[in-house]
Parts: sequence; structure tokens; C-alpha cells
Amino acid sequence: MSTHDVTVLGYAVVVVACVVLQLLSLRPGTRIPGFTTLLRRVMRGRPGRVGVITAWAWLGLHFFAR
Amino acid sequence: MTESRSTAAVVRATMATVVHEPVVAIMLVAAFFDGISGNPIHALLLGGVAIVLGRDIALGEPNPPIPLVERGMWIPGGWTVAAFSAAFALVVGAFPRYSWPATVGVVAAAAAAIAVAWRGPLVVHADPGPLPRRGVVAWSTVLVAGALWELEALLLQPSLTLDSQQHPTISTLTDPVLSTHAGRTLIMLAWLLVGWFLMRQ
Repeated sequence: MSTHDVTVLGYAVVVVACVVLQLLSLRPGTRIPGFTTLLRRVMRGRPGRVGVITAWAWLGLHFFAR
Repeated sequence: MTESRSTAAVVRATMATVVHEPVVAIMLVAAFFDGISGNPIHALLLGGVAIVLGRDIALGEPNPPIPLVERGMWIPGGWTVAAFSAAFALVVGAFPRYSWPATVGVVAAAAAAIAVAWRGPLVVHADPGPLPRRGVVAWSTVLVAGALWELEALLLQPSLTLDSQQHPTISTLTDPVLSTHAGRTLIMLAWLLVGWFLMRQ
């Protein structure tokens, strides 16, 4: 397995872990919040809200803007 | 805040905010690294928002959690946003990456979203309250691990501005898709719709 494959595998593991956590959040009585609940908690104040939207904005710039 | 507050006091309070408010500190660090990576526009956006946000927090500016929809702001429906986003992505996606037209389009969309987020939440949501510690730790671990993995790939490149196929960052992996008009349109549409989803949280 090349270093390229290992790197891609790492990203895949992170994505799968996110999906697993999201699925665990759907169980009754779970102590794992869903991603949306997490976002709403983080974004309830201006710093969190502006921070999350700025992170999203940066992604767009990163992929498309000079 | 009082108008008699001296500039020095505001600067001191802003510096204290930068130290104690993680969002501001994270954006400043990101701005620095984006700047030394040869991305002045990105650094300007991150650094500018961080400084204004830090000043805002330091001055204790009011931050009413009143949703914009309750303040009379017109909020477009989902289909309207989807249609506008598709048209935007189709037009802006026609330009090559990193071209000035693409840059202007993306910066305009990003600035508009930040300005709206600054004013307040779009819609009403019940406060979920404090989250279970175990869940927060689990999510934080995964998200930080993902960020560190990306950072590791970035640092293993020959330089910050030279891609590596041996240690590809997410950007390097998406390069083939983003080299076509269709790919750029789809990714830009996804970016816009994710932004809309985030703004409704």
C-alpha cells in the first residue's frame, strides 16, 4: 500500500467515523448528539455563528478563489 | 460600552479576547498560515473577520439572538435558493479556478453570508442546552483528527505551495474534478447549499 493510499484511507476513516457518530446519535437515550445539534449549540452566539460561516466561506475561497 | 472608553483600553480588551476566544484565535492562526502560503485574499478574509469579531466581543456589542425572520428580513424559500445557487454555480463555474471572475463571485457570496450571519440567526431553534461531555469529546476527537490528518498531508508536501501525490491534501484529491466546468459547477453548488444549510442552524 502506497503512502497515497494510506493518506486517502485516513480521510475515509474520518468520514466513516462521522457517519458512525451520526448513526449513534439516532439511538434513543444516546449521549452522542447529532451533527445538527452540535452545530446549533456552537452557532447559538455570534462568535460561533460567524466562525462556522467564515470556515465555510474559506472553503469556497480555497477551492475557487485566487 | 461607553464612548469615553480609550483606544488603548479597546486595544487591550481586543488582545485579551484574541487570547481567550478560541474562534478569534483560530481564525488569526489560519490567516497567518494562509498568508505565508501565498493566499493574501484568504488571509485578508480570515484576519479581517477575526479582528472585527475580536473587537466586537471586547466591546461587548449587543448580540440579540432574535432571528432575522422575526425582524422582518425576507428569507427566500429552499427552492428559490436552490435555483439561484444552480444558476450561480453554472455561471461562476464556467470560469477557471483562481481566475478573477471566479474569485469575485465566490468572495461576494462568502461576504454576503458572513454579513447575514453577523446580524443574527436566520430562524428560530430551541437551544439544545449543554451537550453530553462524551458526545462532545467524540465529535471533537474525530473532527480534530481529520484536521490533523489534512495538516500532516500539507506539511509532507515538498512545500506549502507545491502539491504531492504521495501525501495528497483534500484539495489535491479534488483537483481532477475541479478542472472541468461540470465538476466546478457541482462542487460550487454543493458549497452554496451547505452554506444555506449552515445559515439555517
